[in-house]
Amino acid sequence: MTFLAPGFFFASLAVAAGIVALHFIVTRQPRAGILPTARFVPDMPATATSKATRPSDLLLMLLRVLLVLAAGAGLAKPIFKPSRGAEARVILADISRSVLDSGGVADSVRALYRNHDVLIAFDSSARVVSGDSAQHLRRTNVRGNISAALIAALRAGSDLRERADSVELVIVSPFAGDEIDAATDSIRSLWPGRARLVFVSSTAPSPSSVPLEIRAASGDPLGVAVAQARGNANVRGLIVRSATGVEASSEPVIEWPISDRPRGAVAKPVRDTIGGVTANGALVVAPFERRWSYPADSIRGADVIARWIDGEAAAVEFANGETCNRSVAIPVTAAGDLVIRKDFVQLVAALAGDCVGALALRPADEGQVAKLAGNGGLAPREAFPPRGDVTSTIAPWLIGLAIALAIAELFVRRRRSAEAVSIVSRRSGSEKRAA
Amino acid sequence: MALWREARPGAVARFEEPDYAALLDSVRGIRWPARSAVRGGIPGAHTSKMRGSSAEFTEYRPYRQGDDLRRIDWKLFARSNRAYIRLSNDRAILPTTIVLDASASMAFPVGSLGKWTLAAQASIGLAAVARNSADPVGFVVAKEGDLIQLPPRTRQSVINEMVRAIQDTRPSGNPPMTPAFDAAARMSGRIVIVSDFLDEGDDLLAAASRAVVSGKEVHALHVIAPEEIDPPRETLLVSDPEQPEIRRPLNGDARDAYLAAFSAWRDHTAHEWSEAGVAYSVAIVGDEAPDHLVRRLTSPRGIAATA
Repeated sequence: MTFLAPGFFFASLAVAAGIVALHFIVTRQPRAGILPTARFVPDMPATATSKATRPSDLLLMLLRVLLVLAAGAGLAKPIFKPSRGAEARVILADISRSVLDSGGVADSVRALYRNHDVLIAFDSSARVVSGDSAQHLRRTNVRGNISAALIAALRAGSDLRERADSVELVIVSPFAGDEIDAATDSIRSLWPGRARLVFVSSTAPSPSSVPLEIRAASGDPLGVAVAQARGNANVRGLIVRSATGVEASSEPVIEWPISDRPRGAVAKPVRDTIGGVTANGALVVAPFERRWSYPADSIRGADVIARWIDGEAAAVEFANGETCNRSVAIPVTAAGDLVIRKDFVQLVAALAGDCVGALALRPADEGQVAKLAGNGGLAPREAFPPRGDVTSTIAPWLIGLAIALAIAELFVRRRRSAEAVSIVSRRSGSEKRAA
Repeated sequence: MALWREARPGAVARFEEPDYAALLDSVRGIRWPARSAVRGGIPGAHTSKMRGSSAEFTEYRPYRQGDDLRRIDWKLFARSNRAYIRLSNDRAILPTTIVLDASASMAFPVGSLGKWTLAAQASIGLAAVARNSADPVGFVVAKEGDLIQLPPRTRQSVINEMVRAIQDTRPSGNPPMTPAFDAAARMSGRIVIVSDFLDEGDDLLAAASRAVVSGKEVHALHVIAPEEIDPPRETLLVSDPEQPEIRRPLNGDARDAYLAAFSAWRDHTAHEWSEAGVAYSVAIVGDEAPDHLVRRLTSPRGIAATA
């Protein structure tokens, strides 16, 4: 048996304890005796309060305690077969591209899932799936979005409101950086409790120690810049100075043709000159002759990693499994000191950095993950707005008020009756005198 | 404590009658001289204010016209050639009446009736002493409803009549003492009040003062139970047997206040009665044997003691 409003029952227990305590404090007349000189005793009320070793009026005390407990239990709305459990979980299972193995996610979900729980699978979108289908969770190639999953969890919390007293949020995910966006913190704060984070393996590649290489003819001026760029951190990959014969590699391949058409680019109808190019914070101001451009159709799904100063793409990156291929349309001239300029070396290092996709798959910042975990206890069911009609909490108070008014009515009625009897007796007396 | 059990209405207290015979034996030989010279009359044991021709010579006084010639001391006249009258102190009786308070407050403690017993023993003992001095002895019992009056008599049976009157009396109610005292004052020159003086207003004291002023000898024996002086320390709801409407709790704080008030009242009573010229004495139940109490009360304290 449980109570819908256990506070009333606990309050009645406290009142009953007070009643029992009061029965130990008895106010009664002490033992009587004769004393001829009693007139010299100060005139005080002929009662004395003392603490008894056993409660007085056991039957009366029992009646009072039962009365209070029955009223408290009634107001607490007892339920003999509760349809609600003590605790339920909303499990957010990550099946996005950040997950290395969906089997690991399924195993974690199976270990966590209980009856009355809600399982939500999410990548870029979230959907409720049945607990039986946990073993059928499959990884997708879509970026994950924890914000969408949290919104779905809030809706599921309202569903669980009628099934459990407390709701726990469980997130099974590698918690990649691209899964957390600017809205995640705000949405997470809407969940009224802590969350349990279950980490699974991520697809984020491990950093390679292979240095940046260039495959070019001897005397290629880019080789000078590459040699200087090797000193920068996170610089790796293979620069290929021809558009053909690109080999499969576990490292980013940077196709930077000398004169051929870069991958995905088309020849501009009219060559023009542009005054600078920028990539990931590196800016090179120099006259460049633009021969190629990247039309939008050809670079759909690719990431622009360098832009001319007028905004056009100067280099793009195509995802290639766990690595990527880059296409660079920035001409490198042998004349001048361009290749030995520091800003150009930084541009080369920026183009030779980690793949955009790999950066996204890296684990999120620890602070962001800690915010996801939150603190405090489990979310109480009352914290979730009900999906159906709202039952007013004032109902038990109204019942209590009605009982109090009923008792007051009894006293007022007795008083009125006494006054009426008094008036009648006075009238009859005056009538008799008049007669 | 059995003494504190509540008296049921109509219940007759059971106590042992005192052994009056032993008391009478123990007070035999005690004399109770009057505190001052009594008015003359019937010859008795007390110094009289009258000067007469008894054998007890006092002084000579020159003869004055009108004196009885038979009282002239002729032998002195023969030696001194002057006529002197021979004077001597007369002795007179002092009718004594005991006024006994039979109010309900005297029936305390409830089990032993110690106050009533001591009052009865003192009354009988004093009466016996007075009777032994050939004084007429009277007895007035102020009991509920009426008075028991035994006019002063010198006959031997007066003590027995007193004992029977006491045995027939059970203290109850709240009878006034003043009528009993007035009745005694009309009959006697010495009145002994045996009471606890509770619920006695100023009337009794005024009557006693009037009696003293008129030359009567008034004794007051204040009977007190030790339980009244030092009541039990347990919390009790005490009630006054003479005024049942008085029911008050006697607990720790109230006990202290009670002790102070009762002590002050006793001091006030002693002062008032002594100021009125009454021989005031206190008798506490159990403090002394009855015959010792009688000896203390009858010991010479007045003018006659030094005469």
